Amino acid sequence: MTVAEITSPPARSRFQHLLAHRDLLVAWTLRTIRARYKQSVLGGLWAILQPTASTIIFSLVFTYFVPIDTGGIPYIVFSYVAMVPWTLFTTSIADMVDSLVGNMNLVSKIYFPREILPLAALLARVLDFGIAVGLLILLMLYFRIPFLTPALLYLPIILVVQMALALGLGLIGAALNVFYRDVKHLIVLGLQLWLYASPIIYPVTKVPEWLRPYYFINPMAGVIESYRAVLLAQQAPGNYLITAACIAIIVLVAGYYFFKKVEFQFADVV
Amino acid sequence: MAPSIQFEQVIKKYRIGQWLPSIREALGRFSGGRAENYHMAVDNVSFALEPGEALGIIGPNGAGKTTILKLLSGVTYPTSGQINIRGRYSALIELGAGFHPDLTGRENIFLNGTILGMRRADIRNRFDQIVEFAGIGNFLDTPVKRYSSGMYARLGFSIAAHVDPDVLIVDEVLAVGDYSFQQRCHARMDELRAKGTALIFVSHDMDAVRRVCDRGLVMYRGKNIFQGSAAEAVVAYSDAVRRAARDLKTTTAEGGLAERVMSFDAEIEGVTLLGANGRPITVVQSGDSVTVGVDIKFHKDIEEPIFSFTIRTTDGRIVYDTTTRWKKIRTPNFVAGERCRVEYKLDLPLLEGEYDLGVDVISTDFSHYYDRLERAMGFWVKSADGAQGLVDLDAKVAFHRLALNGAGD
Repeated sequence: MTVAEITSPPARSRFQHLLAHRDLLVAWTLRTIRARYKQSVLGGLWAILQPTASTIIFSLVFTYFVPIDTGGIPYIVFSYVAMVPWTLFTTSIADMVDSLVGNMNLVSKIYFPREILPLAALLARVLDFGIAVGLLILLMLYFRIPFLTPALLYLPIILVVQMALALGLGLIGAALNVFYRDVKHLIVLGLQLWLYASPIIYPVTKVPEWLRPYYFINPMAGVIESYRAVLLAQQAPGNYLITAACIAIIVLVAGYYFFKKVEFQFADVV
Repeated sequence: MAPSIQFEQVIKKYRIGQWLPSIREALGRFSGGRAENYHMAVDNVSFALEPGEALGIIGPNGAGKTTILKLLSGVTYPTSGQINIRGRYSALIELGAGFHPDLTGRENIFLNGTILGMRRADIRNRFDQIVEFAGIGNFLDTPVKRYSSGMYARLGFSIAAHVDPDVLIVDEVLAVGDYSFQQRCHARMDELRAKGTALIFVSHDMDAVRRVCDRGLVMYRGKNIFQGSAAEAVVAYSDAVRRAARDLKTTTAEGGLAERVMSFDAEIEGVTLLGANGRPITVVQSGDSVTVGVDIKFHKDIEEPIFSFTIRTTDGRIVYDTTTRWKKIRTPNFVAGERCRVEYKLDLPLLEGEYDLGVDVISTDFSHYYDRLERAMGFWVKSADGAQGLVDLDAKVAFHRLALNGAGD
């Protein structure tokens, strides 16, 4: 029998605690997914609505009104390749920031490692991502872009870097949002602006050479460019992915540490 | 055997008023501060519980009971003090926690069970028992939002009851649900205790606490004012409320005791038990006649108050509970300053044992108590009959020898 000392959970047992609750993580993720789609007419189509709608608008604007040279690749594919992971990034962070406040009745009454809520929110969005990727594959086939190359092996790595970054930010945002309720709005606004700081609408080539090293301090710039390199240029990603990975790891570790530090106050600040 | 729960000198303070912690404060541990800004939710409470023991925590609303439960289940942390729980625990602080209204009963069983700490495999194994206990077999695949509140409560309790924890913490969730359901819940709690589960039970239902728990802890304004047997704890709580009503510091709604209010417009000044010879007695022979005398002083004008008294066994079972209203006796009006003596004459054909006598003065519309003594005094009954139970029904025995072929004589 284990002795559970509740006064202050020590760091090493926190991870064991989380593992012991893995069933809860799975159950809560499924619940989030099921609840999201049970009563909706469009169901799984919502997963592709957001990236698709944005892509269509951007395509119209930047093909006909303000043409941007995307190096021989149709604009619609060019931007969709970026929109799909970007949508995962923004929706997962928005959901994570909300995950604690939105489940306060649970947090204030039952004990479980609180990080399960943001984690489940993130995993639930990965499902949407999968559906949107399906449409991406169809697009690539239609435009005859060869993507089945060894460079594809980098995809899981890029995805992991992105998710690590999102999770770190999501944990910090979720914790802060418990204490200061306008954090969510700040983050949503920040994400909207972040879109323009990342090579989603425009190719990286548009960024002046001297500015580029600073440009890639934005980890999502590295991530998005990596997706493009692998899928559209069939190349391995450049060093910007390493930069992005380092930043993502730092953000994740700092975020998790912060989260666990303030976790004990959640139930008291309702 | 090591105690299942150890709660040592635990203090929990909340800062009152607008509270936004600075980031620095949030990162460091919550500490100190000016006294007047703080609400002492739990003030230096200690107790320990062995496996198989049941502790009832009673007290008015806001006394700190739910805070203790939250501290025990790890939802919140103590400002100071130590809490140790040995083994797996399951806390039932809200029925159907995590239930999503759009999901079916089946889906929610897995969800809620996992939240309460069960493994998926455990839930699968116990699924049929859970459904049977809750009695929702036909509605397993209907979304939970279609359930009645009774079904909801039954399902919620059923899942928690099958978690099979080493420590079970139950907050007053059983108020929902009909009598038979509550009986089944109590029976299930007994089963768990027999298996060695330690139980902490918070309730406003004093009879339930007496029935389910061995020991009781009385909370009042954050302090633990009494710890002892469950029956004694109920009495101590009642006395505490009575003292508070008398002090007039608390005017109304000190919760508990089924939310009844003691207004103290009439005050019980004394209770006596007189034997057949008119002298006060404490030991009675079974079958003797006694007179219960209650002296009451009226502080306000009161119309047709209801007088009542109750005889209980020491573990709280009601032997006899009567009121003037039920007997259809019309009581007179009283003026402020008047005194009155109510006498109840009765025979006591009780079996051997110790009994408690409780006395009430109730408002004419049964809405609240003027005064109430849960245990005004105790008395003993001596019985020559070796029978068991409460009442000596004085059975007369006769036997007839029957002939071998069955014919009577």
